[in-house]
Amino acid sequence: MSKSLQQKNTRSLLTWLPLVMLVGSIGFYLVLRSHIYHLQEQQLELKQENTWNTLRSVPGGIPLHIKCEYDIEKGTPAPRQLIGRQRDTSIYYPSVGHWDAFAVLTEQYKLGDTTYQITTYFSSKEITHLLIKLSIAEAVIFLLLLGAIVIINRRTSRTLWTPFYDTMDAIRRYDIQRNKPLVLTGRTGVDEFDRLNLTLTSLIDDVNRAYNNQKQFTENASHELQTPLAIIRSKVELLMDAPFLTEEIATQLGDINDANERLSQMNKNLFLLTRIDNHQFPELHRIPISHLLERSIIHYQEYYSGELPAIKTCIETGVHLQANSSLIEVLINNLLRNAIIHNVPGGYVHVRLTGKELWIENSGPILNVDPQRLFERFRKGREESRTTGLGLALVKQICHLYQFEVQYLHEEGIHRIQVIFSSE
Amino acid sequence: MKLLVIEDESSLLDSIIQFFKREQFLCEGAGTYAEAVRRVEDFRYDCIILDINLPGGSGLQLLKLLRDDKKSDGVIIISARDSLDDKIAGLDLGADDYVTKPFHLSELNARVKALIRRKYSDGAHTIHIGNLKIDLPSRIITAADQPVLLSKIEYNLLLFLASNKNRVVSRQAIAEHIYEGPFEQGPGPEFVYSHIKNLKRKLNERGCREIIHSVYGLGYKLVV
Repeated sequence: MSKSLQQKNTRSLLTWLPLVMLVGSIGFYLVLRSHIYHLQEQQLELKQENTWNTLRSVPGGIPLHIKCEYDIEKGTPAPRQLIGRQRDTSIYYPSVGHWDAFAVLTEQYKLGDTTYQITTYFSSKEITHLLIKLSIAEAVIFLLLLGAIVIINRRTSRTLWTPFYDTMDAIRRYDIQRNKPLVLTGRTGVDEFDRLNLTLTSLIDDVNRAYNNQKQFTENASHELQTPLAIIRSKVELLMDAPFLTEEIATQLGDINDANERLSQMNKNLFLLTRIDNHQFPELHRIPISHLLERSIIHYQEYYSGELPAIKTCIETGVHLQANSSLIEVLINNLLRNAIIHNVPGGYVHVRLTGKELWIENSGPILNVDPQRLFERFRKGREESRTTGLGLALVKQICHLYQFEVQYLHEEGIHRIQVIFSSE
Repeated sequence: MKLLVIEDESSLLDSIIQFFKREQFLCEGAGTYAEAVRRVEDFRYDCIILDINLPGGSGLQLLKLLRDDKKSDGVIIISARDSLDDKIAGLDLGADDYVTKPFHLSELNARVKALIRRKYSDGAHTIHIGNLKIDLPSRIITAADQPVLLSKIEYNLLLFLASNKNRVVSRQAIAEHIYEGPFEQGPGPEFVYSHIKNLKRKLNERGCREIIHSVYGLGYKLVV
């Protein structure tokens, strides 16, 4: 599963920083402890020297035992291996009733023939306390540091990545068919993002140019095709009246004519598609769609007198749309034409219009292709020479232009197209 | 009747001229702007068929020239551009009608006939086909003084066939002519058959037998 950059960053900080800090803390503790032992040793040695010097120089002698300070003994009662080595001990304080820890050092000295053995004491309790307090302080500082690093890091990366998220938003909103240029600032204040934006801008410019060229090509092609189509049509019409016309020639002429008519219809639809693509229908009017729909249905009923499937309507009156009226007519007529042409004998067409949607259901042959694919150009449900394969592509294009949602559902020979005018 | 066809595609120009010659028009053609200017300056025509895109100039320019000279020749614009702006510009400059390429010659013919009727018939707005009489302003059809009641579609169909009498008119041309609305998205030419059938039946009832012929499935022909 993907995580955001910030999550990843925080996670890695939280994994590695405590580890580093733990190792640091242990190291700190060990170094501190070794310094403190060294200090103890120095102190014990100093005390030894002072005691011995005092013992030699004070004529009346000094007390031989001061608790927790030193012990002076004549002779060598201590075993050899204890001499000159620092060791730990505990001494009981009856006044306060507990034991305290001390560091102890025993050394031997000779004065004339007499051997003295001096043991000095240094309280290690305070030193140990200091060690603990310092370690705790260090741990607290490390924890504060960890929190601060994580917070600062999150703050910084949030502001640092803002231009990136802006760019992503802009790209997500970008729609090549609407043909608006993608505006990305080249001055985000971060060199990498500036470069990213500039690269994206030039990429999108190239894509736009290629797309426009293609659109232009289609428009020019369908425009240029009109003249040869007109020539073929006129020659066919002249031949139809030729005196030598036999049935055989007439049949072939009829085939040429049908093919040419289909071609010119296809061309007109293609031309219309590119004109929608090129935003040549910018004007918006308040279109009485209820009225247009009813009129189209009446038209069909008039022209197809008696050969139509049963048409049942449920049209809310007074529904209006903000659109171009010829495009809405194209939309309605294509949907009706589809429902009527791709029907079965004795079939039906249901038309329903509300302020929110147009809904056309019809009986028809079972489809073998995914109905969504029928919105592609030149895609047909079955081989059918009467259609151009562009009707639903036009429907889709018009819906896209006005941001209508269009759905095609098919189930067991029942086809339903739904055009939802607004998502609210 | 004198007709001038201005069109830069020579084979289309030929087709149009050939078609109208068979309709007993005196036909002349021009393929460039300069040639067209020369012709309209020197002669008068009853009707000019004018293409917008011409080598050396625009058809709209020529139209302006014509109207600025107070010449009232009937003008029908033909253009490959299916744009409303061109259409409005053309009609504003004084064109009488507008046809978009690719058009049917039978359609162009009907438009030319209608234009000539409007401009030059001085109130005689009737068409006679055998014993059939079509009164255009009242849209009343009589056969041997008996009224024939036709639907709007059948009336338009009969008038279109009458404008192209003795010629084969293709099903598509008929369908495109009588369908009101954007034909590319309309019902397709199949509907023509049933209207022809009804029209023939109604004419038969009034004694006009066998005036509409079906020609090898290509189309229909009104024979006088």
